[in-house]
Amino acid sequence: MFSLNLQREARKTLAFSYKNIIMTKRNFFTIFEMLFWPLVSLFSVGLMGFYLEIAENKLAFILIGAISLSVIQLAQLDVTYVLLFDVWSKSLKYTFATPSSFYNMIIGSWLVGILRGFVAFLALSIFSILIFDFDLTKLPLPELILFLFGLFFAAMLIGMAACILMLIFGRRAEIAAWTLTAIIMLICGIYYPVSVLPESVRLFALLIPVTHFLEFFRTFYGFPSTFSNPLIIGFIQSFVYFVVFILLSEWSLKRARKNGMIIKLSE
Amino acid sequence: MKAVICEDVWMSYNTFFGGSKLALKGVSLEIDEGEIFGILGPNAAGKTTLISILSTLLIPDRGKVRILGMDAFKEIKKVRERINISSGLNLPWSLSVHECLKFFSLAYGISDEDRIENLIESFELSDFRNIEFEELSTGNKQKLSLAKTFINDPDLVFLDEPTTGLDPDVARKIRKKIMEIHEERNITIVLTTHYMAEAEQLCDRIVFLNKGKIIAEGTQKELKKIIGAKDVIVIEFSSKPDSVIFSKIREAENIYGFDYRDGEILLYVDDSEKRIKEVLGILNPYWDKIRKISMEEATLEDVFLELAKRG
Repeated sequence: MFSLNLQREARKTLAFSYKNIIMTKRNFFTIFEMLFWPLVSLFSVGLMGFYLEIAENKLAFILIGAISLSVIQLAQLDVTYVLLFDVWSKSLKYTFATPSSFYNMIIGSWLVGILRGFVAFLALSIFSILIFDFDLTKLPLPELILFLFGLFFAAMLIGMAACILMLIFGRRAEIAAWTLTAIIMLICGIYYPVSVLPESVRLFALLIPVTHFLEFFRTFYGFPSTFSNPLIIGFIQSFVYFVVFILLSEWSLKRARKNGMIIKLSE
Repeated sequence: MKAVICEDVWMSYNTFFGGSKLALKGVSLEIDEGEIFGILGPNAAGKTTLISILSTLLIPDRGKVRILGMDAFKEIKKVRERINISSGLNLPWSLSVHECLKFFSLAYGISDEDRIENLIESFELSDFRNIEFEELSTGNKQKLSLAKTFINDPDLVFLDEPTTGLDPDVARKIRKKIMEIHEERNITIVLTTHYMAEAEQLCDRIVFLNKGKIIAEGTQKELKKIIGAKDVIVIEFSSKPDSVIFSKIREAENIYGFDYRDGEILLYVDDSEKRIKEVLGILNPYWDKIRKISMEEATLEDVFLELAKRG
């Protein structure tokens, strides 16, 4: 019985991976956003570093930021697309009429996000190594895997937040799909250490898991971290946000069923 | 067992200016298992709101809803496993017919390729299996929406205006398919429709909703009795008669109601043969304007028009 239920849950989750893969495959823009924009971002930052003749470790610092931004944005978009594709197709009510839960939707689409994010990470890393002499091997493989997992986890959280905002505010919140990551990356020190931020913003930065994941990565390139164990802090924060977002998603779904938001998003 | 029990359901929506609008006002109804149940009413009567509540997409302000013996608001997942809905012609736009059915099959926790193929064949979608939803004709979109409705072998389905916007031939085929599936599987079907002929053909029982309230409920026979009419006398005029005739009709003892549309006066009576003499008496001064008089059995449309008028 347990295994049968597990199979059913696995199918429900895979349903959303399946839908996201097909929608991505059919939509040229989503393939474009997987490689074109990340490469443009990487090249502009890298070339600016060359022009300013910054030290090798500082170039690594900003390249890590550029790569992380693209990876998080891609993986997060996939999570948000699970809702957006249905909103754009006006078919959201059909998805919510199935016995699949919000978690099936999030996890199913996140798996596709991880896949797309990983492809982008590989492409960006290869170009960084070939063109900017970026030495990725300074980070041992297990640490690299943990760092990537941290980024993907953060992407899922941002995607969940965007979905929750859409369930609360409707189509007006669609823009959150593209702006949340940018805002978060701005605060968490994408191209600079958080110490350059004003005191009040720095406090916010320390509450964002990505800040700690980036600091963890950068310790291998000679930049000391604010805390002694940034990776653990990043994962603890991520877990806390995950629990908070689960509670918020339950609340926002119930609210959407009470005020008719699911129906409105299907019209 | 009852497929649906709905008790004193109230639902309101917030309006743009901060007020609220009542969409349902104390709706109560019961639907038996295996029944085809029609929800009829004019635009904005609350039909889609009611069907959305019954299919667990909306939570009402108050009231109780039991679906197939389960609490619709507490056992949502279990309820959703046994029901399905078709409402409007919108499915994920980039998915082909086959992909769409596969997606929904997985979303219901089912992996059954044979069922998908059977539904494609049964709804005459074989030639379009690889065509994306947005490229299908309206008729085929509706067929796919209906095929999706049966993907989880449901015990109860909600069909919201299943033939709206379709040409008569496709609409007829879809009605036939609904009947076939109902007969084969004895599932409960709750449908809303604007087409009275469709309701007459398909529904065992019907409720009339108007302004969020049930104004009548019963079988077609029972509903015709409610307005007191079994028959309709139709008088076709060559030009619009003066208002005196309407006053005379209102005063007539055995005419239960009347309607004037498209140059015709429809008189609802208990027995047209018995009442024709009385009617001819009223019509006497207007002979030169009368083109044709006919006697027909009252239809659901007559009931609907009369009930809508009474509010």
